[in-house]
Amino acid sequence: MPKCFSRAPHLQPGLCSENAIVIRAMSWTIPKLVPRSAPVILIILTLCAVTGFAAVSHLVARYNANQQARGRKLYAQGLTEAGAGRYEGAIDLFRAALTCDPTNSQYQLSLARALRDSEDPRRLDEAESYLLALWQRSPQDAAINLALARVAAHRGSIEDATRYYHNAMYGVWNADPDSNRNRGRIELIEFLLSKNVRAQADSELIALAASLPANFAAHLQAAQLFTQAQDYAAALGQYEVALRIDPANAAAMAGAGEAAYRSGNYTIAQRYLRAAVSSNPADESSRRLLASTDLVLASNPFQSHISDAERNRRISAAFAQSEERLAQCARQTGVDLAATSSSSSSSSLSNLQSRWITVKPDLNHLRFPVETDLPDAIMDVVFQIEHQTAVTCGPPQGFDLALLLISEKREAAGQ
Amino acid sequence: MSDRPTSDPLPTNIVVPSPQSQVVHLHIRERLFSTLEGAFNEEVFFLILSVFIGIFSGLAVVCFRLSIDWIHLALLGPLPQTHSWRLFAVPSLAGLVVAVLVMHVFPLIRGSGVNQTKAALYIFNGFIPFRTAVGKFFCSAIAIGAGHSLGPEDPSLQIGAGIASALGRQLQISREKLRLMAPVGAAAGLAAAFNAPISAVLFVIEEVIGRWSAGILGSVVLSAVSSVVIVRSFLGSEPLFRIPVTTFKRPSELIAYAVLGVAGGLCAVAFAKLIGYFRPRLKALPRWTQYFQPAVAGLLIGLVAFLGAPQVMGAGYDSMDQAMHGQFAWKFLAALAVLKILATTVSFVSGTPGGMFAPTLFIGAMLGGAVGDIERIFFPHLTGSTGTYVLVGMGVLFAGFLRVPMTSVFMVLEVSGNYEIIVPVIVANTFAYLVSRSLQPIPIFDLLTRQDGLILPSLEEEREEAILRVEDAILPAKTILNGQDYVDASARRVQDSTDAMFLVRMHPSGWNTISREQLQRLFREGNGELTLASVLPAQPLPTLYPDLPLDAAIRYVNAYPLVPVVNRADSRRLEGVISRDSVFQKYGGPTKQP
Repeated sequence: MPKCFSRAPHLQPGLCSENAIVIRAMSWTIPKLVPRSAPVILIILTLCAVTGFAAVSHLVARYNANQQARGRKLYAQGLTEAGAGRYEGAIDLFRAALTCDPTNSQYQLSLARALRDSEDPRRLDEAESYLLALWQRSPQDAAINLALARVAAHRGSIEDATRYYHNAMYGVWNADPDSNRNRGRIELIEFLLSKNVRAQADSELIALAASLPANFAAHLQAAQLFTQAQDYAAALGQYEVALRIDPANAAAMAGAGEAAYRSGNYTIAQRYLRAAVSSNPADESSRRLLASTDLVLASNPFQSHISDAERNRRISAAFAQSEERLAQCARQTGVDLAATSSSSSSSSLSNLQSRWITVKPDLNHLRFPVETDLPDAIMDVVFQIEHQTAVTCGPPQGFDLALLLISEKREAAGQ
Repeated sequence: MSDRPTSDPLPTNIVVPSPQSQVVHLHIRERLFSTLEGAFNEEVFFLILSVFIGIFSGLAVVCFRLSIDWIHLALLGPLPQTHSWRLFAVPSLAGLVVAVLVMHVFPLIRGSGVNQTKAALYIFNGFIPFRTAVGKFFCSAIAIGAGHSLGPEDPSLQIGAGIASALGRQLQISREKLRLMAPVGAAAGLAAAFNAPISAVLFVIEEVIGRWSAGILGSVVLSAVSSVVIVRSFLGSEPLFRIPVTTFKRPSELIAYAVLGVAGGLCAVAFAKLIGYFRPRLKALPRWTQYFQPAVAGLLIGLVAFLGAPQVMGAGYDSMDQAMHGQFAWKFLAALAVLKILATTVSFVSGTPGGMFAPTLFIGAMLGGAVGDIERIFFPHLTGSTGTYVLVGMGVLFAGFLRVPMTSVFMVLEVSGNYEIIVPVIVANTFAYLVSRSLQPIPIFDLLTRQDGLILPSLEEEREEAILRVEDAILPAKTILNGQDYVDASARRVQDSTDAMFLVRMHPSGWNTISREQLQRLFREGNGELTLASVLPAQPLPTLYPDLPLDAAIRYVNAYPLVPVVNRADSRRLEGVISRDSVFQKYGGPTKQP
């Protein structure tokens, strides 16, 4: 007999009190309540089961009703906390609401959002887990997909974020589906641009532009996104649509001017930037771009509708400016243009100096209009100098910047 | 039959059947009834009864879970309490109430439901007092709802077993079946509590019944499945935890899980030793102290909660869920594992009714999360998430503490629904099981049983016991005679042999034996021209196979001096023979027949 730590002296010696109680209880006769006929027994058991089921159903229903009422109260408090940005309190309240009503999708979604927005990276896992559980139940729900997309975006997962944003766009929205879809697409574009995934962002932008409502704000936002995606021509188009709706909007004019400027449409840029500066004189950015635009337009020798004399004058001025820029860059980098050097930067500057000197006599031939290739040849040297000095000595300013922009426009036109 | 007096006037629209047709109807009804009676032999009836046990257990467990939730909300409120007087008061007062109930109304509800079910199966002919199930229901609900560090699974198991036992006794089924009623009910209760039928079935087979047979398995499965169906129909099919993404990419990461297994094994040993040390000592204290032991346990748990770890209160499934989603830093996870061990120890050893399944999972989860996080500090390339380690940790402690290796693996799979982590779970659980077995030879359930003064079969010991097989007692057959040989030739052939008994190969198949004396007597009597087959009995010897348990040979070796052992693939190929001496020599008993 093993050692027993609890003995009942009035029972059999050596027996633990509990075991002795069981043995004593075994001798009690059980009143026989049911007959021993198998079919009758099964009928009685079935009736008992049905009765038990009904009783427990009633109990569970009452309990659930009480719990749901309690859950609603806690959920409302949680929403207030979340609205005020107090996510810790909101999380506790949403959790408590969920203990009252564990399968409530709305509570789970709100808890997941609070967990995600609490800026605690440890909580992203839990948020995702709640959302995935909800997603498995209703994969077409756009709000759940959007929340999952935001979690994926927090994690920086481009593939998952894109998938869930697309699900949200094509999913079922309970209210205002069109604007919600556009908002989802805009979020996706912003995410893709932040991750520098330009090609995907461009295709989303094209889809966005096609589905925009006739609404100034929507077109303005689309134009800004196109600008971020460096699709300046499309951005200009969107700004122009926005300006047709609100022609006096200074932000749209400035944006249109910048888009035109970046896309090389300096004439259009000048028009919009002038309008932007006149309607908002404090807009320094537009003023700076306007100055640069004016300079480009005033010094471009390839501009149409200018006389030969004016073209020659512009070429000469550009050529002189390029020499000055080259000398300045050589001084800045400590390169002696007269000496030969083995280093790549000094040799490239020296080569440009040599080319400049070689081409210089040709300036005199500009007077003869038959020499049609000469302006291009001279400006090629100018452009090479501006490009190289921009690389070696940093971005140019003023006239040099104008020459660089003219060169870029010329290259784009050539392509 | 109608009891209507024949003199009563009858309504005109009722067609009264003729006496002849009444007799026919009665005859049909009796035949139908007797056919139904005949269809329900005891095996079929037991299977059907298992479904009802599952239904009743499921309904009881639903009520039990609602009671725990309701008591928790009523006493502690829905929001997490921090630094509140309730944290002290509620578990202490609940402890007092429970102690009075245990001492005066339900004296049998102390201790483990698993052991009481085993005791019912092996000692008490399937008897579990129904009052125990009722007491377990109310007292466990109060204790767990008030925050004692115990789980609802063990009480659910015992409630199921109690219902099944009461039903079996009420229906007066045979003793053999009545013994099995308690485990069948236990499976139903555990399946309903865990919402995991496979694990429940495996646990009951692995820990309570200890053997696989179609009859038992069928009943256990039916009851477990029907109880889970009932629970899901009321409480939904949501799993216990929301499982995060679990990953296992590189086989080299198994080393990390093996380390977790070792840590889990050590932790399980510490937990078991604490319970094993304190339980008998507290039980041996004067009787009046038992009124206060659960209250003191509640006070200590309240203190832990008040000081910043309210997660240790109750079963702790919410906290496991949070740990699975990386909500706690590793230091806090480790602290929670230690505190939960202490809290569960004081709760359990104080005699507060409740189970250790949920606390075991909790400790494993916290330990797994902590070990996983520490490992990733030193080896950042490990791809397993915190959730993966938490899940594996649960299985690890289940395997190490409860010593149910198969159940532990399936429980993790069933709870997670993710088969990707099966390899880490198996590796970690194996290490935990081996470490625990080597440091704590007696499993916790056996330890508790012995402390309660019972000697139940240790199923782990039975599983590990080396089985003697026929091949261990096999002897080479030196001289084999042929049934078609003549007696005189055979007698000459055995002349130089020292053996007293010879095996005879019969034609076309079968074996027989003949003794040296018998051969010589036949030869002396002038039967030398007869074949052995003609003088030996027609009844051939039974044969054995080398892989059979040696027990199977015992029934033959007393009846036959030699028993041939043949190959399973070719029954004419002789592997050797066994005799009474060779068998008993293996058992270490007497080798000569008295």
